[in-house]
Amino acid sequence: MSFTSPTFIAFVLAAVLLTSALPTPGGRSGVLLGANLVFIGSYVDSVIQVLPLAGFLVLCYAIIEGVRRRPSSTSLAVGLAIVIGCFVVLKKFSFLGPSLTLPFPYLIIGLSYVLFRVLHLMIDARQGELARPVSPLHFFNYTCNFLSFIAGPIQRYQDYAAHANQPLALNEDKVFRAFARVIAGFLKVGVASAIFKYLFDNMSARLLETALTPSLPMFIGLYLAAAVFYTVYLYANFAGYMDIVIGVAELMGQQLPENFNQPFLARSFLDFWSRWHMTLSDWFKTYLFNPLLTALSRRVTSPKVGPYLGVVAFFVTFLVMGVWHGTTPVFVVYGLLMGAGASVNKLWQVAMTKRFGKKGYKSLTEKTAVIYVSRGLTFAYFALALTCLWLELPQALWLAGRLGIWGGVLGYGVLALAAGLAFLAWDTLIALLAPLRAGAVRAAGGVVARNMVLSLQILLILMITSFFHKAPEFVYRAF
Amino acid sequence: MKLILIQIARLLGGLIAIYGVLLAVSLALVPRTGVAQRLDASRASTSLFLTEPKYVFMTRNQLNTNADKVILLGASNMLVGFKQTQVQTLVPGAEVHNLSVGGSNITQLEQITELVREVQTPEARRHNVYVIGLWYGLFADDKARWYTADRHPGDTDIDIERYRYGFYRRTDAGPVPNLPPQDMDIGVLLIHPYLVLDSVARDLTRSLRGFMAAKPAAITDAQRNAVVLSDAEKLKYLEFWREYMGSVTTLGDAPFHTLQHMVDGILADGGRVVLVDMPIPHWHAQGAVLSIDYRQRAGAVFAALRGRPGVTVLAMNEADTDDDFSDEVHPKPRVTEGWAKRLAASLNNAPELPTRTLAVGTRRESPPSSLPASPP
Repeated sequence: MSFTSPTFIAFVLAAVLLTSALPTPGGRSGVLLGANLVFIGSYVDSVIQVLPLAGFLVLCYAIIEGVRRRPSSTSLAVGLAIVIGCFVVLKKFSFLGPSLTLPFPYLIIGLSYVLFRVLHLMIDARQGELARPVSPLHFFNYTCNFLSFIAGPIQRYQDYAAHANQPLALNEDKVFRAFARVIAGFLKVGVASAIFKYLFDNMSARLLETALTPSLPMFIGLYLAAAVFYTVYLYANFAGYMDIVIGVAELMGQQLPENFNQPFLARSFLDFWSRWHMTLSDWFKTYLFNPLLTALSRRVTSPKVGPYLGVVAFFVTFLVMGVWHGTTPVFVVYGLLMGAGASVNKLWQVAMTKRFGKKGYKSLTEKTAVIYVSRGLTFAYFALALTCLWLELPQALWLAGRLGIWGGVLGYGVLALAAGLAFLAWDTLIALLAPLRAGAVRAAGGVVARNMVLSLQILLILMITSFFHKAPEFVYRAF
Repeated sequence: MKLILIQIARLLGGLIAIYGVLLAVSLALVPRTGVAQRLDASRASTSLFLTEPKYVFMTRNQLNTNADKVILLGASNMLVGFKQTQVQTLVPGAEVHNLSVGGSNITQLEQITELVREVQTPEARRHNVYVIGLWYGLFADDKARWYTADRHPGDTDIDIERYRYGFYRRTDAGPVPNLPPQDMDIGVLLIHPYLVLDSVARDLTRSLRGFMAAKPAAITDAQRNAVVLSDAEKLKYLEFWREYMGSVTTLGDAPFHTLQHMVDGILADGGRVVLVDMPIPHWHAQGAVLSIDYRQRAGAVFAALRGRPGVTVLAMNEADTDDDFSDEVHPKPRVTEGWAKRLAASLNNAPELPTRTLAVGTRRESPPSSLPASPP
């Protein structure tokens, strides 16, 4: 069920209305159960296609309950090995070869995010944070919540349970805000991401047209344009999807965590990842980075080496996070780029702190020129690294060969400079328009005016989507 | 539930109010320009419909008349090769319409005949003479032609127009109209703001789109008449068509069955069919494996159809002089007058219309054709 289809909108509307008709915790759980089953069912043609997921869920439930009853490092380690092993097989990682795959087509979508939730429950069970057993109904609704099934956000079970056990409480303002959030999401997905996808598709097609042989500067220009278009498309698509599910969740009495916080304001690569796909970053921070850093710190006690342990931990964490995005070799390259970005960023921070001291470094990073250069460098690195998500390895190698080392460096520099200047221009414009914006917000404060603004947004979505042959798919479902 | 329903009602109310204002403003600023009485898809780009598929889809209601109609159908070489105005001059007793759509294959041509059929009364259908321009490129398999990343799998350009504004809905059994096709004019009026916005957006982005698609600059008729292709360009065109056709070495059976089905449908409605065996430049016909395959298969198809009442075959494939073409398929402007004369002669000299022998579902005696005699 595509998030931009009329079927999905009708389905969501039915789920929301049913939830408000059955507002008790039991009623809401029942509606959510039904909605989850219908949603997952929309991706399969036969029951057999959903059996691997069902089996995986049953296995995970049993292991979590086992670890909860007998919490020990051994039970956790065995549980982790079994669950991750099953996940790798079900996800059909390319390095496994054909011998370890199930001999029939089955549902893979959502598996990665089910895994995150399951691992979180297992580790919490080991740490004694699950005082009571998780009921099968709550387990299913938590791991397969249709709103976050495909690509998150990754909610903590404790947060899910806290809201699941309360009756639905809506008021006029809350309903309006939830609708506004959903419509803002469709605006991002249906308008912004559709436009940038169109630009990206055409620009990348021109870039990869081997019959055309543009000059190197033109080739670099085409590549940078394609990379920027893809980055904005990905952001609008993913952040829009988050707005939609968070808004719908509000109407169903759930409170999903935020997943984006203006990522293009980031002044460093590490800052970027605290603003982009935040729940995924938090998950990796909690369950990989922190334990890894702790383990390294126990083994290496030298104060001179201490700061560099973070570099190693960041490299490993971002490598794993990058590789997680896909099952083919190009995602290993993506992981290496992510790891390199995080480690270089950390090394820079360590070196600068040594050079200027904590205060001196902090005051340096607050200078306007440094802010925009940093933002430009961060955006450019991320946009170019994302190339791995839209090219296969042979194409990426062809691109790298055509660019050469100096072409790549030049491209990065040009993009960083252009992005920094664009951010500066944008911020200046926003500052100039701030009084106007404040006036507009005041004027649109009444019931009629604010609903007119929302209606106008809906109309814009309907009109712009009619330009395109089909509404954009949710891109992150592929990861 | 009440809160949510109230919120939905407010949004719907706001939407209707704003759209009403927008409709009034768009009609005031950009009045509906009536499409010419004779439809000509080559004028699509200068109309509010902008593209040939949209033009054909939205204007077809004009074909629901009892006047004799010659409907030209094919891909871009039919649009360029048989100019509506030239053919109309030579066939003054019938309305000449060109509903050809660039990039069509046989499946899409059959869809266009279905679209026309939807809006016509049985009596109007009996006055149709379809002129279908055939060549090997039209026999591209649907899998190769319509399964691209930018569309729902299998949607033709006509399907896209069916669904774009919600005039049709997608079902397992194919497209189903939401608005009765006979009321399409009302639908077109209602979507006027969409058409205006689309037009403005296209005008504003013309340069950008041209750059991204690496489109060559438009050339004049005089420049087109003077084109001489290099060997490298010819090789590039051959490679393009090889890929376009799905890199196969023989044509599939399905497009030929679709052609047969389309002809059967037109004849069953009492219409007439002229199949034009379209020429392509000699170098192209000799260099494309599928052209040779098509030539072998088309001979048998034409032989079988030629014997049927109401079907005429106009063989123009021998008009393949390389210098008469400005690229790999499109004739130069200087030759289209001659093409129009050949078609007009075929139309005017063809046997009596079988339409006159058919009532709806029952045969009856045939009155004389109202198509004019051949012009001097």
